[in-house]
Amino acid sequence: MGVKLYKRPRLKNPVMIASWPGIANIGLIAVDTLREALGAEEFGEIEPWDFFYPQRVSIKGGVLEALEFPSSKFYFKKTEKKDLIFFIGEEQPAGGSSVYAEGEKAYQIANLVLDVAEKFHCRRVYTSGAAVAPIHHTMVPRVWAVPNNPDLIAEIKKYENTILMSEIEEREGQGNIVGLNGLLLGVARKRKIEAICVMGEIPVYLQGLPLPYPKASRSVLEVLTSSLGIGVDMSKLDRWTEQLEQEIEDVYNQIPSEIKKQLEKLKQVTYAGPAEPSPITEEDKRRIMEDIDKFFKKRGRGIE
Amino acid sequence: MSERYPFKVLRKPKFQSSSLVVGWNEDAGQLGPGVIDYLTRGLGGERFGEIEPEDFFSLGGIRVEHDVAQFPESNFYSCHKNNLAIFRSTPPRFEWYKFLNSILDVAERYCGTKQLYTIGGMVALAAHTTPRALLATSSSQEVKESLKQYDLVRDMDYQTATGQRPTLNSFLLWLAGRRDIPGVSLWVPIPSYLVANEDPRGQKKVLQFFDERLGLNIDFSDIDHEIQKQNEKLAQARLRLPEVDDYILRLESNLSLSQEENERLTREIAEFLREE
Repeated sequence: MGVKLYKRPRLKNPVMIASWPGIANIGLIAVDTLREALGAEEFGEIEPWDFFYPQRVSIKGGVLEALEFPSSKFYFKKTEKKDLIFFIGEEQPAGGSSVYAEGEKAYQIANLVLDVAEKFHCRRVYTSGAAVAPIHHTMVPRVWAVPNNPDLIAEIKKYENTILMSEIEEREGQGNIVGLNGLLLGVARKRKIEAICVMGEIPVYLQGLPLPYPKASRSVLEVLTSSLGIGVDMSKLDRWTEQLEQEIEDVYNQIPSEIKKQLEKLKQVTYAGPAEPSPITEEDKRRIMEDIDKFFKKRGRGIE
Repeated sequence: MSERYPFKVLRKPKFQSSSLVVGWNEDAGQLGPGVIDYLTRGLGGERFGEIEPEDFFSLGGIRVEHDVAQFPESNFYSCHKNNLAIFRSTPPRFEWYKFLNSILDVAERYCGTKQLYTIGGMVALAAHTTPRALLATSSSQEVKESLKQYDLVRDMDYQTATGQRPTLNSFLLWLAGRRDIPGVSLWVPIPSYLVANEDPRGQKKVLQFFDERLGLNIDFSDIDHEIQKQNEKLAQARLRLPEVDDYILRLESNLSLSQEENERLTREIAEFLREE
């Protein structure tokens, strides 16, 4: 079990950007888009067999040709402004039925990723994921940012379209980040490596659909590129967003009108503080969540 | 810190160069358990070791089945006279790589295993009256060549479908290949309505292959009796339940059934066999 590096690039205090799959793959798509746009080069991987069950077998003419495992790969890119290391995990090493890693395996893989970060003297790690929020799909998703060190809060406050947990009503700075996109932040803190998790918002009623949400990935990518001082072409994400908009509208139009009336109220949701009253109450939000949950559970059963 | 081995060897078997047969408790038509029980019983197999459960199974409680408490079991048996080692286990829930490597560790260290055979049933939309086929996936071209004199389907092409995962048998075959242990995965398509029951006819197909390949001199009278008993029961079901007869007739004529019809047939047969 371990990391296999094919080459040792000379990097100067690089920044690591890591992501694993999660809700609508918002973080993963953002990071992978950046990796692809910059043409980052693969230079290593985490050996998969101890962490993953194989995902594909190929048998040809009665002979077992290959057994493929989910990949966990490292890439690097030297840019004018910063050197970057990307880590992209195709799956989280979940032991049971959950798609999110937890326990010993999660801790092991997080440490292997950070071993590489330390080997190359990374000065910061970004992870990326999704934030399920009471927002409407016509709104521009914001980015929730969680640092692993209070010294980073001042910097995060300067990011555009980005909020801290304390700026979300009733959260009072509290919350959970499930799976490795969160755990890596904690393990980095233990190792005294500064890290920030950036999460793109997804409307609560879209979180259970088997669809990506590139609109939120774009928000995440904007925050990442601006904090790194790198410009990338986002037209691919824009085209993808356009393509999916109709699909999302179709789903939305299937929602019963009484629930939709509630959802329309989400268009007015802001993250205003207590001095500025929210246009819908917390009770409204709770009811919307319950109605939506019931609707999609029923819909799910209908499909089965 | 020394690594703890997750297996326990109760007594060292006296093998020169054995073959290892692996089967899993949860198998279509009880193919693996049926074949393994028949082999251990018929060849006087003795339990010689086990894989400890704590790393591989959820031990937060126990499952009750047919009124009886169950517990995961992963046992090795030896049939010395035939140079045959056998492993039968509940499929592990976690740490598959470590579990499968433990099987191969025991096989190499204590059994001098030179060839591996895995057994698995697969669901088929076919009638129980049609002859069973035996499909083989080999770990290499050489192994495939060595199987040509047997009644096997040896040219299968397959790729895991989206949303599915490879079987433990494929994983084990791949790992054995990495250790240069030649291996064969044996598959029997089981009529869908017998998947949750026993399919002695499918079991016999595998036993016949082992008999020939490994020179075991198996006495087939017990399994022949089982096949006859089941055929009689299924014939009765067809007589008493015209709908079941119609479904099976269609399968015998190579016509397909809808999912609903297939589920109905499976349910009716399961109920009938339980009551008998």
